[in-house]
Amino acid sequence: METIFKVENLNLYYGAKQALKSLNLDIRKHHVTALIGPSGCGKSTFLRCLNRMNDLIEGCRIEGKVMMDNENIFDRQVNVVELRTKVGMVFQKPNPFPMSIFDNIAYGPRCQGIKNKKLLSEIVERSLKQAALWDEVHDRLHESAMALSGGQQQRLCIARTIAMEPEVILMDEPTSALDPIATAKIEELIEELKQEYTIVIVTHSMQQASRVSDDTAFFLLGEIVEFNTTQDIFQNPADKRTEDYITGRFG
Amino acid sequence: MRTNVKSYRNQKRNRHKIRRDKILKALFFTAALVSASAIAIIVIFITQKGITPFLNGDVSLVRFMFGTQWRQDQGVYGVGYIVINTLLTSFGALLLAFPISVLSALFIAKIAPKPIASFMTTIIELLASIPSVVYGVFAAGVITKLVMNMAAGLGLSTAGGSSQLAVILLLAIMITPTITSLSIAAIQAVDRDLELGSLALGATPTQTRFKVVLTSAKSGIFAGAILGIGRAFGEATAVAMVAGNKMFGPTFHPFDITRTLTSTMLSGLKETTGLDYDIRFSVGIVLMVVILLSNLLLNAIRKKIGKVSG
Amino acid sequence: MKKCNIRKSDMALNGITYLASLLCELILLSVFVFTFSKGSSLINWDLLKNDYWSKNYIVESSADHNTASQYEKPDDLSHEAYFSRRWGIALVDHVSHEKEKQVLIEYIDPKSPFASVVDGSAGQNKGKELNLQVGMRLEKIDFEDQNGTAGITGTILSENAETVVKNLDQTAETLTSAYVKTAGGGIRGSIIATGYLILVSLLIALPIGIAAAIYLNEYATKNRVNQLIRTGIEMLTGVPSIIYGLMGVTVLFPITKAFGATTTNVLLGGITMSIILLPTIIRATEEALLVVPQNLRDASLALGANQSQTIFKIILPCAVPGILSGVLLSIGRVIGESAALIYTMGTFISDAPTLLTQGTSMAVHIWSIMSGEQPNFELASAISIILLIFVFLLNIGVKWISRRLQKEWH
Repeated sequence: METIFKVENLNLYYGAKQALKSLNLDIRKHHVTALIGPSGCGKSTFLRCLNRMNDLIEGCRIEGKVMMDNENIFDRQVNVVELRTKVGMVFQKPNPFPMSIFDNIAYGPRCQGIKNKKLLSEIVERSLKQAALWDEVHDRLHESAMALSGGQQQRLCIARTIAMEPEVILMDEPTSALDPIATAKIEELIEELKQEYTIVIVTHSMQQASRVSDDTAFFLLGEIVEFNTTQDIFQNPADKRTEDYITGRFG
Repeated sequence: MRTNVKSYRNQKRNRHKIRRDKILKALFFTAALVSASAIAIIVIFITQKGITPFLNGDVSLVRFMFGTQWRQDQGVYGVGYIVINTLLTSFGALLLAFPISVLSALFIAKIAPKPIASFMTTIIELLASIPSVVYGVFAAGVITKLVMNMAAGLGLSTAGGSSQLAVILLLAIMITPTITSLSIAAIQAVDRDLELGSLALGATPTQTRFKVVLTSAKSGIFAGAILGIGRAFGEATAVAMVAGNKMFGPTFHPFDITRTLTSTMLSGLKETTGLDYDIRFSVGIVLMVVILLSNLLLNAIRKKIGKVSG
Repeated sequence: MKKCNIRKSDMALNGITYLASLLCELILLSVFVFTFSKGSSLINWDLLKNDYWSKNYIVESSADHNTASQYEKPDDLSHEAYFSRRWGIALVDHVSHEKEKQVLIEYIDPKSPFASVVDGSAGQNKGKELNLQVGMRLEKIDFEDQNGTAGITGTILSENAETVVKNLDQTAETLTSAYVKTAGGGIRGSIIATGYLILVSLLIALPIGIAAAIYLNEYATKNRVNQLIRTGIEMLTGVPSIIYGLMGVTVLFPITKAFGATTTNVLLGGITMSIILLPTIIRATEEALLVVPQNLRDASLALGANQSQTIFKIILPCAVPGILSGVLLSIGRVIGESAALIYTMGTFISDAPTLLTQGTSMAVHIWSIMSGEQPNFELASAISIILLIFVFLLNIGVKWISRRLQKEWH
């Protein structure tokens, strides 16, 4: 099985406080990897390492390696802008830009220097179709994205990410702000996207992890307690703490 | 059709983008640095120009600092009494404006019903936005008449109403909106629970407002006073219209004309070189020092009263 | 008994807050009443479009139309005006703010010899048609009587309107020439200079201020250099404007000198104002940047935009209303500023200001006419009214924008 990220002995500090402690794991290509654990356990922090969004945080220091295509993404010569075009991200709260639906999706490609109108509309259409949003919005592409419902906004954000044709999509609790119906739609979408993209998803919902993911990593206090296929994690966890967590004994 | 965007991924361009980021950051930093260095430039150049009369020996520093006469025509420059006049008028204005401002702020923030409160807020904002030269015209036309009538009522005469009292009244009017709006913010920031606690102890709403709200907001109110007196010290054109520019002093009598640091700096602006010109910069230094010292002093007091309340 | 005391003291305490607020209202009201009562009579288009300095003209009658005949007095002529039936001109007495007695032209019949005079002053315009206008000051009229003897009449001989009209009607037969002065007292030059000031100061302060605000809000980490920069900018707010004036004439004057200025000038005023505006613009921009949600920045970066693209495509468009309110505040500040400009632009009122010559803004115009021996309250109040209207409109604009800004993100 092909791996896309090889995480080797990753440590992360906020100032003096260590937030991630010697993480090691392999993330498989074209699979969905779920990161679960109680809040504050470092799963989101780890996710943000994968496209170096932590660079923006003051006093954040990283040791160790994350290998992608035989290259440590923290290397000096790695271009962070380039990395982020390959590793896209969908955030917890839907965050469309205050512009039209079309411009939202064309934003990334435009930033890459694509100006051709026809090409842009092709990209927009394809991305919206892939994100299962085309039917709902194709007749109002030039209206403000802020007018969409929460679930539509989140799918728009996914479409926006797909438009870049990344290799990996990172999702940080993408359904926590949505109602159950919108959540179901997103989960369906994840299932589809898996064919073409590698997905790493942080979730607070055990059911969601078991429903959508192939592999699951259980985080606790900045460490990975257990990392295995989702089936194994949920059916016969090796660690007592994992079992306690997934059976709801703490959270 | 598939790898459209991917094919546009261009390492060279992306390297370029990072470089452009760095250049832009440097530009933004320069802008911030330029903005911040303005204050240093002001201090350095005005000091440099302001101390030349003393370095050249044209004016004795001691006489300048403690002098009680300002006679441009005789080359006598004594700024001592002017400093005292400035302090008197500014603190006099503060003394008048402070209670009015705090009470209005209390009315607007706590007592008035909402439409009246927002109406009053607008009034305060309008007062704050009136240009100082307009206040100057108002002072020269109305306040001086008022002062003249007051003086006449007491059997005294004034120089057409231009007087220390007129300056004080004018400055009080001008700093009232400043102090009021900061006091409103301070009063609105007081924790509602404190009020409820006081009410629960059987205090009336009015007692609560005056005893609990005002005491809790006093640090913020004091900050407004500091800002207000800073404005009073630095106010130039309006003051110069009613000060009268007395040539000696200090002035203690309210109906006597006076001379402040700023009115001195604006008087007889005909020269553009020479001692008469340079000496303005010396007065400018004195003005900045007066503002700085009174700010430090008032801030120290503010910290002290802040501590007592915990 | 005790309760009654408490209620009395409560009422007294509440009462003084009412009084204090009432006082604030009264102050505003009296500023209004004063400026409007003094200045409203001067508020008209002439004020806005006239020169401040009056110009002198000698006009000569045209040779084919210079004799007296009969004219109808118009019905709507004011009662104070004196009408000359034989010459078709009406004059009125006027006292200037300097207590000078003047005779003004109130009406000219289109067929009157006075309506077809030509420029008689030496120069290239000599002989060209020059229209006498209502409001001009009539200083002297040269005429000939029926015997061909020359005579004069006018304010030069301390005559009033009635006497001048009497002389015209009873003695004059042929009009030779007249000496007139334009009304003056307008503020067109000051309005132009104010426009220049606003333009120059914003042109300089806006880019620097916005860039500085972006640096402080988007890039600056918490270190000592940035702390120092922040403190420096905050300290600028507390510097009195007259000190900026001092700085303008020493530090900035050489810049305008390089452009060819020899005296204090409008450009110098503009550059000085731009430094005064910096803290205002920086603060307004920063406040707008602060409310732009962090997750928009994240989203943009995660899509492979670099920080410059994020700033220019996402953050700045969101901050436009805030920047706009900074611009409005700045315009208000420029319009109202006087002390710094007295130093840097001078107090000489110019009717045709350019960037590199002296000129006055409207506020400095007020200072200029108020600081003379005979303060001109009427004109000062009239300009004050214009300033007040402008400043209040800007104020309303700022309020409107900030209300919209609050709505946008909540």
